[in-house]
Amino acid sequence: MSRLQGPSSLKRKQPDSNSPLDSLSEQERVVYNVIKSKQDLGIWSKDLKRETKLLDNMFGKCIKTLQSKKLIKEVATKNKGRKHLMAAEFEPSKEITGGNWYLDGNLDTEFINLLKDQCVKLIYKMKVATLEGISDTIRRSGIFKVEFTSQQIEEIVRALVLDNEIVEVKSNGMEEFDCIPIGKVCYKCASKGGKAEPRIGAMASIPCGVCPRISVCAPDGVISPKTCIYYEKWLDF
Amino acid sequence: MVTQYGIKFAVHLITSHFGNLVSKVCDNLLRRGPLTLQLLIRFTELTPLQVKNSLLILIQHNCVQAFSTEHIGAGGNEVKVTQYLALFDNILHRLRFPKFLAIVSQELDKDCEEIFEGLIQHGRLTLEQISDRAESSAKTGGKPSSGGPAVRDAVREGFHKLLNSRFVERCPAPEPFLEPPSEPKSSNKRGAKSKLAGASETEEQRILASAAPIEALRFSLLTTSGTDLDAEKDGTGSSVGEKRKHAAVDSDEEFGSKDKEVVLWRVNFEEFIRCLRHKACMENVRARLDDGAAIVLKAVLDATRSAEQKVKTETSVPLLMNTIFEEVMKNEAGRSLTLDRVRASLIQLGCPSAMRGTDETYSIDLKKIIELAQNEEVESIVLKRYGRDAYRMFRLLSKAGQLLETDKIADMTFVEKKETPNILYKLWQDEYLHMEKLVVSSARQFSFMLWKVNKPILWEHVLDEMYHAALNLNQRLIYEQEQKELYAIQQGTPTGSTEKDRLRNAKIYLHSSLVKLDDALMLFHDF
Ligand code: SF4
Repeated sequence: MSRLQGPSSLKRKQPDSNSPLDSLSEQERVVYNVIKSKQDLGIWSKDLKRETKLLDNMFGKCIKTLQSKKLIKEVATKNKGRKHLMAAEFEPSKEITGGNWYLDGNLDTEFINLLKDQCVKLIYKMKVATLEGISDTIRRSGIFKVEFTSQQIEEIVRALVLDNEIVEVKSNGMEEFDCIPIGKVCYKCASKGGKAEPRIGAMASIPCGVCPRISVCAPDGVISPKTCIYYEKWLDF
Repeated sequence: MVTQYGIKFAVHLITSHFGNLVSKVCDNLLRRGPLTLQLLIRFTELTPLQVKNSLLILIQHNCVQAFSTEHIGAGGNEVKVTQYLALFDNILHRLRFPKFLAIVSQELDKDCEEIFEGLIQHGRLTLEQISDRAESSAKTGGKPSSGGPAVRDAVREGFHKLLNSRFVERCPAPEPFLEPPSEPKSSNKRGAKSKLAGASETEEQRILASAAPIEALRFSLLTTSGTDLDAEKDGTGSSVGEKRKHAAVDSDEEFGSKDKEVVLWRVNFEEFIRCLRHKACMENVRARLDDGAAIVLKAVLDATRSAEQKVKTETSVPLLMNTIFEEVMKNEAGRSLTLDRVRASLIQLGCPSAMRGTDETYSIDLKKIIELAQNEEVESIVLKRYGRDAYRMFRLLSKAGQLLETDKIADMTFVEKKETPNILYKLWQDEYLHMEKLVVSSARQFSFMLWKVNKPILWEHVLDEMYHAALNLNQRLIYEQEQKELYAIQQGTPTGSTEKDRLRNAKIYLHSSLVKLDDALMLFHDF
């Protein structure tokens, strides 16, 4: 489980009075000040270079020194592959890490899928569930060591609706909606069997319906229904 | 809204039913819009006789409607010009004849079915011709030949049933006169250029409206002069084929007579499309909600069927709760439903539950049901073609109905931020999404990509792809058929080989796919 500490938070350490700052050169100080001014947002190295207007080799040297003195650090962001710098005393903000669902700059899909699965199972068991109901049950179940905000649960539930695994319904106060106020938005599983696969329409069940080359396929063309490999496979019983 | 592949597919159907000459005429009419005989001869490069005969066939089968307009001739005086309009929808309906026939045999009896089959085969027939057909088939069928009057009685009865169910209707006027439209008319063409304007659509509607028989006579055996066609005696005794020509050609230089009233009957496509639309709605509701909701919907549709003015009815006529409940009770499966259950189903179906009392009325939003079914069809294409992440994004945008920014889409669908633009871009490239670039210049320039689903445009695009796919299915079907014949020649032995089985299965597979795809075509074009 990757998420035992919960979402990262903004921490601020008291800088040392007798700090390595004193030994910085003029340019190093300029670079450092720009980085520090960006606080927990940090700065992309390219932007930094533009702002400080330093030459390549000088810029590189400054960065190295600052890093070796542990005044700045490189941080992972949602924009992977970009060198992003931040003053050592800051923790990256949600805006640059991508938020709660990101871990070291990567979307934590494993974790997300686990949570999604749990939600579906739970909704299936409950038949119909409100957002609060889902949140409560997850909290009480103790499956996850982290606390989820209701916003987080809402995000997950919304994604499940987009997956068409669950559907949004309004309570009519009857039968399964027995103890839910009329008109309240609830969620239930899309299929009666729990795990739902979206129904596949007529077009999507034939080769041409999902064919990436339909726009270049013509009766007498190079690609045609007669010579089509997709049909060949499809009709190979 | 006739798309390029729509035309290709329609022409393909005509070719396989009536051959190349007829399809050439049809092709020109579909592409260029209404044309005169002279122009048709010029464009098709066929002989006048060939064009005339092709037109006769197309008119006979309700695929073309003639109409006349007045033009200022060379000498400054007004001349009447006859033009021909291809009826795209009716051509496509040819694909659905087995479905129509199935509805008749389900709802009516064997006699009706036979009459109906005749109308499908011949396009238009008089009541006499229908009787003649029945009599001659009774003879060849080995039934006692003395049953002439009995056969005619049965035909009349069957025909009445067909009329009462509105499965059959009186043919439109052979060549109505079209009043010039109030605004100046630029051209008659319905080609790619004028498609945008949509003016041609109204022209087609205008022509059809002016040709339509008055509503009181549409399903009635009375003549315009008030005599009952039933009572009319026919003395000529000619066979169906001859008489058909007789009625259509000989009487006048154009294809119809005004002297003696010859009433022709044809299949009322509209009623069948309505039936199929109702069925599609019920099927969708059954799959999406439950059996109870489907039963209630069926009851409401049955009770309001006669009140529907057009096929694309948006909402059902408001009904009292009591009426709905009575209608539900008529259905065997409905008898297990309680009043509360029916009410709950109505709410499930999206009826506002404003009033709760004895005189509460409900009306169902049919357009919404059709829309949901259309969404589902397109979404499943996206899922299969672009994968689950794209599916989630597409559904998000489709529901949002407005522009959303790339990062926001990534957040809401839990897709990697750097992957998101790639997926969206692919969807955009294939015309499944609309994109807008937004540049904000403050200290630095930021550019955002905004995306949305533009339904009207996308639906047309999907429909065109469906026509394309239908055409391909048909072509593959023909190809497999050829392979089968080739195989039979090579082998000489007609029985028991795996290749032969494969070919047979392939045909069944292709055919049933086409039947299903046709449902989807109707969902997007006719419903
Ligand atoms: S026939 Fe084959 S190549 Fe052509 S659109 Fe269909 S699947 Fe694609």
